[in-house]
Amino acid sequence: MSEEAKLSHTLVVSDLSAKQRMWGPRSTKNRESFFHDAAGPYASPSSLRTTSKTDTRSPSRQSNSGQRKPTTWLSFPLEFSFSTTMVGPTASLSNLSRADGSASFKCPTTGYKILGSVNAPVELPGRRDALKPEEATVEVFIKPGNTTAGVGERYAEGIIRTMLQKLILGRERGFPRRGVVITLAIVGGGAIARGDSYLTLLPSLLHTSLLALLSGAVPMSMTYSAALMAVSKSNVIVSNPTLVEAKAASSLHVLAFSSKGHLLLNESQGRFDFDTWKTVQQRAHALCRGVELPEVDGDIAMEAQGDSGTAEGFVRETVEDHLCRDYAWKINTE
Amino acid sequence: MATSAAAPASSSRPALSLPPSQFARLQPHAYLLAHLSPPSTNNQPSIRANGRAPTQFRVTSANAGSLTHTNGSAVVRIGDTAAVCGVRAELLHTEDIASWSVSQATSSNKSPRSADQTEELGEQDDNETIERERAHIEDLNLLVPNLSLSTGCAPGFIPGSAPSSLAQSLSHQILSLLHSTRLVRADDLRIWYQPPSMGPEELERHNDEEQMDVDTAQNDPVEESPREIKAFWVLYIDIMIISLAGNAFDAAWAAVLAALRDTKLPKAWWDVDNETVVCSDSISDARKLSLRGLPVASSFAVFEADAAAGWRAAVIPEAAEMKAQRLARKGGVSERWLLADPDGYEEGLTQERACVVVDKDTDGKVIILKMEKNGGWTIDTEDLQQLVDLSSQRWEEMKRILDEC
Amino acid sequence: MASPLVLLPGDEVPSRHLPSNKSNPLKLGPGLRLLSQPSSTSQNAQSQHVLTATQAGIVTTDAKRNTVSLLSFPNRRYIPTVNDLIIAQIHHSSVDYFHCMVTPHTAHALLGQLSFEGASKKTRPMLRQGDLVYARVLSIGLGAGAEVELTCVNPATGKSEPGGLGPLNGGMVFDVSTGMAARLLRASSSSSEQNESIDGLVVLSELGKKLESLGGFEIAVGRNGKVWIDCSNAGESAVKATIAIGRCLQTVDEKGLGPADQKKFVTRILREMKLVS
Repeated sequence: MSEEAKLSHTLVVSDLSAKQRMWGPRSTKNRESFFHDAAGPYASPSSLRTTSKTDTRSPSRQSNSGQRKPTTWLSFPLEFSFSTTMVGPTASLSNLSRADGSASFKCPTTGYKILGSVNAPVELPGRRDALKPEEATVEVFIKPGNTTAGVGERYAEGIIRTMLQKLILGRERGFPRRGVVITLAIVGGGAIARGDSYLTLLPSLLHTSLLALLSGAVPMSMTYSAALMAVSKSNVIVSNPTLVEAKAASSLHVLAFSSKGHLLLNESQGRFDFDTWKTVQQRAHALCRGVELPEVDGDIAMEAQGDSGTAEGFVRETVEDHLCRDYAWKINTE
Repeated sequence: MATSAAAPASSSRPALSLPPSQFARLQPHAYLLAHLSPPSTNNQPSIRANGRAPTQFRVTSANAGSLTHTNGSAVVRIGDTAAVCGVRAELLHTEDIASWSVSQATSSNKSPRSADQTEELGEQDDNETIERERAHIEDLNLLVPNLSLSTGCAPGFIPGSAPSSLAQSLSHQILSLLHSTRLVRADDLRIWYQPPSMGPEELERHNDEEQMDVDTAQNDPVEESPREIKAFWVLYIDIMIISLAGNAFDAAWAAVLAALRDTKLPKAWWDVDNETVVCSDSISDARKLSLRGLPVASSFAVFEADAAAGWRAAVIPEAAEMKAQRLARKGGVSERWLLADPDGYEEGLTQERACVVVDKDTDGKVIILKMEKNGGWTIDTEDLQQLVDLSSQRWEEMKRILDEC
Repeated sequence: MASPLVLLPGDEVPSRHLPSNKSNPLKLGPGLRLLSQPSSTSQNAQSQHVLTATQAGIVTTDAKRNTVSLLSFPNRRYIPTVNDLIIAQIHHSSVDYFHCMVTPHTAHALLGQLSFEGASKKTRPMLRQGDLVYARVLSIGLGAGAEVELTCVNPATGKSEPGGLGPLNGGMVFDVSTGMAARLLRASSSSSEQNESIDGLVVLSELGKKLESLGGFEIAVGRNGKVWIDCSNAGESAVKATIAIGRCLQTVDEKGLGPADQKKFVTRILREMKLVS
């Protein structure tokens, strides 16, 4: 019956179950390097073991460690920042049984763990006058782990809503006049204080929303992938920076690309010039979608081979895994 | 247009015509599109429904110091969008900060003097100074902006209602821009106390026995007792949008900037005898804030020619393909326009937005402080480059306006 | 189907995956849509239209019926569709209608007091709160806030077609995923004699064989993820048998057991519950 416990549908168990996947080359060596390389309080093995319910790391401890060693962090050699990019996020799909779609996503470098749920199409009671007659209303709610939502959450909600509104096909059958409600709970990772930049959290939130939307089978025109980039004081571009690196950076960038290569979202802050941003954009593009390959006409099977290790490939693999498990009966019999 | 309605049916043109104001309300998208893409027969330039060229900003005016009961204030008007900003400074005693003694013990005991000196040098801050600045301004929340839209500024906003999510996200944007640009120097907000210098043994006695025998100090000049921060100024920055006709962020940020440039803080010092901070009421003693740079925000919207794009079941081309198409069509009819400083009417017709905050250093080099783009996929790298160029032109204009006010 | 083709929203369905049956028009299932290539851009005129996915799912085709559809995540909430067979529970009744619960947290569906086989003012069934009905979705209305209407009778013939519609007496209801409910419906609708494992589902036929000695069982599957099971023929072990069947179905659903595992599991459960030796 151990098999039974492993596949149980409860949230806490599924966090640690075989549902999880590593991003990037999936050898055991990399798995180990995840524990040894990614230093800092956020990616230690103990933080991996914490689940949503038992996350006891207090914000004060986080900020202390952040203040104690900024100088040492800045002097890390460049390759360190690459070693962290090798460690990919983990995600699981459909872990809430009551929601139409749900997903959890954990970013190892920033330590954030997000649980997202999607309900669509749902009636939004009492709001009928505010609903658009020809398409669905997208609503996003972000719930911080330890406080009530404040102005920062409103801002991030606005960004995600604006972006998703363009991608969700709210005119498909059954959607007009109804709502697509996305709730994102921050269940692990440090707290974001008032006025702090929300950019470090944004890619995790975006990926969680995408996975939850996919598991809820909400019609969309395209998928997307997002990346967090930092430019350090010495003008070194750090992909997937840790929170400490992000805090010390001279500029922070969040970019999201559609599955067809469009720049969907850019949020940059800090001091930088346009040429730096262009380099950042290229790096982010490589991180999200892999290096630019000559287009193969409509051949998805070919593309899927090339993009493991990228954010887009990660989303695809997670979904493929889940679907293949769900339809194992079909795949095996036919 | 009763005359045209009664016109003979022999004319092939449709008999019904509408005055422009009604056309604008009934078919807003077609109305704006007709302005932007005039028929090629008459040699009219592409112009927006509000009479501006696509990249033209609205007439902007600023007036600083109009509210007398604040430390600094400004009214900025961009077209029909008007924002009032007032800055009020209040004192925050370090003894009221719960974690103050702890954080001082860990972080600031190392040479506070030298840190301040480097800060005076301007941009060459070392990392520790930046970290101390950040710790003071961000962790102690010395800047508290709050934006209010519930002034009846637009028909959708009812006075006295709870802050809308737009107001909340604008508040956050302003706060986060204040933090990321490090506009306000932490040193302007610190109130220092320099204990009279005394020898080490006296210092000990002074601390232990609370004796105020300052006269006994026969100090050696090298052993200087460290300065300490006794209080901070907290700046409450309240922004009210009194009229909203699109592009609230640019107006709000310009108002904040103008108000902070106007802000004067009274001279304040620690009074040892009363153990409190005392302010001078002489205006001549008051000091202006020395801000870092002049970040100017410029917002843009993208108007797409195809009104029914969301309805059309057409393939969204790949990004590279889209670019090729655009190049091929260059010179021909544009499919989308970048509109600078969109007004309320245009904001209702557009989904894709971009916002660029730029500053120029003393050499005239453009520094981007914030760049946002969301809500669509038509803006690409070249467009952003163009927007940055437009924003730097706007920076010159805004600098002139803010310097004059 | 060794390596299934999984599509994400925006992906095109490769033309080699489409059924090559030219006699019938191609039918699209859920999750797919036909998009036109903007005419100015399509270099090759032969592909004016492309099929793209709007959801994540596995592409399945049926060459016989010339259909292509996308299998999305099976654990979705049930959304009423016309002609679906569902199991509804009466919440309360009014003069003309029974108000039924189809899915939790959604508006009640309406079931006419007279939409039963042979029902008239005098002979209509007197259903009370909590009673179960096997019904067909008659209409789902349009737009938000529209009411779903159910019926237990074919309005054209006045018969309860397909058979078995109407109040469900006795038995128990078990919740399964909507994907499992669809599989069960497919499995039970096709004559299970000729093809033993429809959609890899042998659990029902296996249970039927094993429980034949107890008098068999009755089952009704609702698309809304409900399965009603009745073993009243089994005498005193009726409750035990019902629960055993329910457990088998739920476990097969949750764990996605393959045919061999299903057989093993059925044997184990029945032995554990001491229903068969």
